Amino acid sequence: MKTVIEGSHAVSYGVMLSRVQVISAYPITPQTHIVERLSEFCANGELQARFLKVESEHSAMASCIGASAVGARAFTATSSQGLALMHELLHWASGARLPIVMANVNRALASPWNIWCDQIDSLSQRDTGWLQFYCESSQEALDTVIQAFKISESISLPSMVVLDAFYLSHTFEPVDIPDRERVDKFLPPYEPKLKLDPKDPRSFGSLTSPDTFTEMRYQMQQSMEKAKSVILEVDGEYQKIFGRGYRMIETYRCEDAELVLVTTGTVTSTSREVIDQYRDEGKAIGLLKIKSFRPFPSEEVRKELKGIPKVAVIDRNISCGVGGIFAEELKSALCNEEDRPMVFSYIAGLGGRDITQETISNVIEYTLEQDRPKEDILWPDLKR
Amino acid sequence: MENKITFKRLQDVPSVAISLGTMLWNKTGTWRYLKPKYTIKTPPCNEACPAGNDIEGFMVLVREGKLREAWELIKEENPFPGVCGRVCFHPCEASCNRREYDEALSIQAIERHIADSHLTAKKEKHHSKLRRKEKLAVIGSGPSGLTCAYHLARMGYGVTVFESHSSPGGILRIGIPEYRLPRSTLDHEISGIESLGVEIKTNTCVGKDLPFEDLSKYQAIFIATGAHRSRSLNIEGERLEGVLSGLEFLKRIHIGEKVSLGKRIVVIGGGNGAVDVARSAWRLGAEKIQMVCLESREQMPAFPEEIAGTEAEGIEIFPSTMPLRIMADGGSGKKVEFIKVNLGEAKTDGSLNPIPILGTEFYLEADSVIRAIGEVPDLSFLPQEVSIKKGLIEVGEMGFVHTKGYFAGGDAINPYHTVAGAIGSGKRAALAIHEYLQGGWLKEKFRLIQVGEKGTISMKKYFHPLEGEANPPVVPFKDIKTEYFEHHPRISIPQLSLDDRRGGFREIQPGLKKEEAQEEAGRCFNCGVCNGCDNCWIYCPDMAVKRKKDRYEIDYDYCKGCGICFEECPRSAILFEEEGR
Repeated sequence: MKTVIEGSHAVSYGVMLSRVQVISAYPITPQTHIVERLSEFCANGELQARFLKVESEHSAMASCIGASAVGARAFTATSSQGLALMHELLHWASGARLPIVMANVNRALASPWNIWCDQIDSLSQRDTGWLQFYCESSQEALDTVIQAFKISESISLPSMVVLDAFYLSHTFEPVDIPDRERVDKFLPPYEPKLKLDPKDPRSFGSLTSPDTFTEMRYQMQQSMEKAKSVILEVDGEYQKIFGRGYRMIETYRCEDAELVLVTTGTVTSTSREVIDQYRDEGKAIGLLKIKSFRPFPSEEVRKELKGIPKVAVIDRNISCGVGGIFAEELKSALCNEEDRPMVFSYIAGLGGRDITQETISNVIEYTLEQDRPKEDILWPDLKR
Repeated sequence: MENKITFKRLQDVPSVAISLGTMLWNKTGTWRYLKPKYTIKTPPCNEACPAGNDIEGFMVLVREGKLREAWELIKEENPFPGVCGRVCFHPCEASCNRREYDEALSIQAIERHIADSHLTAKKEKHHSKLRRKEKLAVIGSGPSGLTCAYHLARMGYGVTVFESHSSPGGILRIGIPEYRLPRSTLDHEISGIESLGVEIKTNTCVGKDLPFEDLSKYQAIFIATGAHRSRSLNIEGERLEGVLSGLEFLKRIHIGEKVSLGKRIVVIGGGNGAVDVARSAWRLGAEKIQMVCLESREQMPAFPEEIAGTEAEGIEIFPSTMPLRIMADGGSGKKVEFIKVNLGEAKTDGSLNPIPILGTEFYLEADSVIRAIGEVPDLSFLPQEVSIKKGLIEVGEMGFVHTKGYFAGGDAINPYHTVAGAIGSGKRAALAIHEYLQGGWLKEKFRLIQVGEKGTISMKKYFHPLEGEANPPVVPFKDIKTEYFEHHPRISIPQLSLDDRRGGFREIQPGLKKEEAQEEAGRCFNCGVCNGCDNCWIYCPDMAVKRKKDRYEIDYDYCKGCGICFEECPRSAILFEEEGR
């Protein structure tokens, strides 16, 4: 049965159903509702977990690392400045191969102060060795949290489940909350291969010489590679049990498309509407949603975009000095292909600006009109 | 680097950097150069209590609702919790660290609550089954004499107390009015002392009914006859009819004599005795009561709350005023001449030095004039070898009179007449006598049983010496981590209405209810004493604080000396000092 709940609470339900054992968090808008609800679950006994109130996000991640190191399933949630504050520990968590799951609600980074949706916070952490999954709906956020634990625990790397501020975190939608027994069957308790044991103390993460460091990083990359198949396996199993799956990417009406729009997060839902309108008019426009940013689904996008003349990427972020980050990643994945599309890079919706159907139509119209972009970075919603 | 590991192949490299062997050899406590240590310190209230009560200790027990244990704890030191809980001048409250935060704890009210909760408890405890052969005499059954007898009896000695009055209690019986100390409370606590085998011989005035020499069969004698001779005003008309001493007046009320003083009373004196007289006279129905004293309002030795009560009862106070003469006015009335004074620097003997202000003479009319300017001991019965100095028995530091086997205490040796002080000196004498009889010398042990630096001693420390420092430092307010304590006002206790006070001697203040006492005891900082709050255990980042059944232990193998436990201990019960190498 579906229940109308807030996007943040969908994450909380996912965490509760995953029987997380340690939650450590510090409040920050627009994430706070996630851990508020979790603290209620802990208080009323629906979730048997230690809820640690800490003095900063740095400590939140540090305590998740500690908890995970002794073999507990650990979760935290944050946003924006909070995620930035965790930065050094994000590297530590992945390097120590700890399967922590974190929800990050995409919010712009100051200055100037801004609490609204922007992907720059999580994308700034792209090199930390964390898996990153961008969610389109509350249902997807709930399902992804449960899947993320299974994926992370299988490959010993941490995962970030990412959702748009307010558009998703504070919006109420009907969500199917899976029943506990079936989730328990899907996600058994975490059995770490290695863990800190006070009875047999070992030194973890100590000084590692140049003689070994390369091999350890190589192993991390191997695990990221392996993650691609694990994600698909886990998603497939989930789909079998719960009837929903998301893959690493999703294509929508891409058959014979002359133009494919590439989106992430909630813009995808708006774009589906626009695509339908174009298809109704007989125009061959398709949509490709990227869910997994790390690992980046290079093979999948190469395959799906093969033979497509033009691609328009909408980035709700900007890496100043180069452009939209998803566009850059996509170009990298395609650059060695012979039959590769012309990539148009659009920056829109920064700092919470609404990406309307009109914005998306403008993107499509411009892309259809031009043989190649006149500029490397295009700004469809910029006030001129 | 002798154990350098080289991995030859990728598949040999572990996924995380982990030591191959156990790290149990690595005692990280070796990094420490500062060391935390649990140390019970001295709470300032305990130091301030002349009777040596473990106040902090009974606050913990009251908070937990353990009133019997609290009563037993007080009884280790002091046989009179019901008395002290009512009439003590509570220097503990003046020293309470909480006073600097919001308001001092209402310690006295809690002590009374503990005592009142045990009105049915009859059984007092001896220290052991051992009964000693020595027989001891105590002269005077006031707070000092009875305290000494109580402690000696608990140690197994046979004690006989000689009392000149018809019932025991000394100043508690004949001096303190019943509205401050119900006689049932006094009787109850004295019967507790008697239950230990103490024999009290009333109507036996040593030196009159019984020659002092007859006491030679006792192995030691404690002289605690108090101070019962009223000071004289040394002015004209003091011997007129209707001029009487305060103590005489109070004593007559106590023995149930009908005292008729007339309607207008002048009381001369500014201490608690004068206040007792004035307020008793008001209860007996006097209509106009005027109190006159040499001291200014601020210098009056009576307790502030007693002065406030006096004024509430409509008694007029004339401070900075000296009586010049008392004249008969023909009928039964008297006319008293006064002059306003300034107090000069005290005289070399410590007495007041009033300087009259010429031209300020005035008269008050009265049916009775009561002088209550203090009492001095009557020591005329003592043998020559007991040395008297400035009207008091001269004693050594430990209450030892410079004559073999004689000891003295209470108001007979101390010019500052307080009940708690008398109890303290009786206790000290009991230990001095015990040591004397056992061939020891209390002074040598004094350091071990001291509580702070104000002369207070602890029976508990004498019989159960604690580990660690003998007399640890007193905790100052600055060492209390006040962020761990919420502001909470001191309990206010309503007093009997004026209508209910008049015409009788009903106790003026009701006791606390159990919940009130628990809440008030909960305000205690527990200065310097671990109360198991878990802060150190929670905060230790190395999990080096171990929680045991009734205490904590530091695992020095892993304590790195960060000092967080010391910093976060709300009550300064942890020391942090340089590591000894």
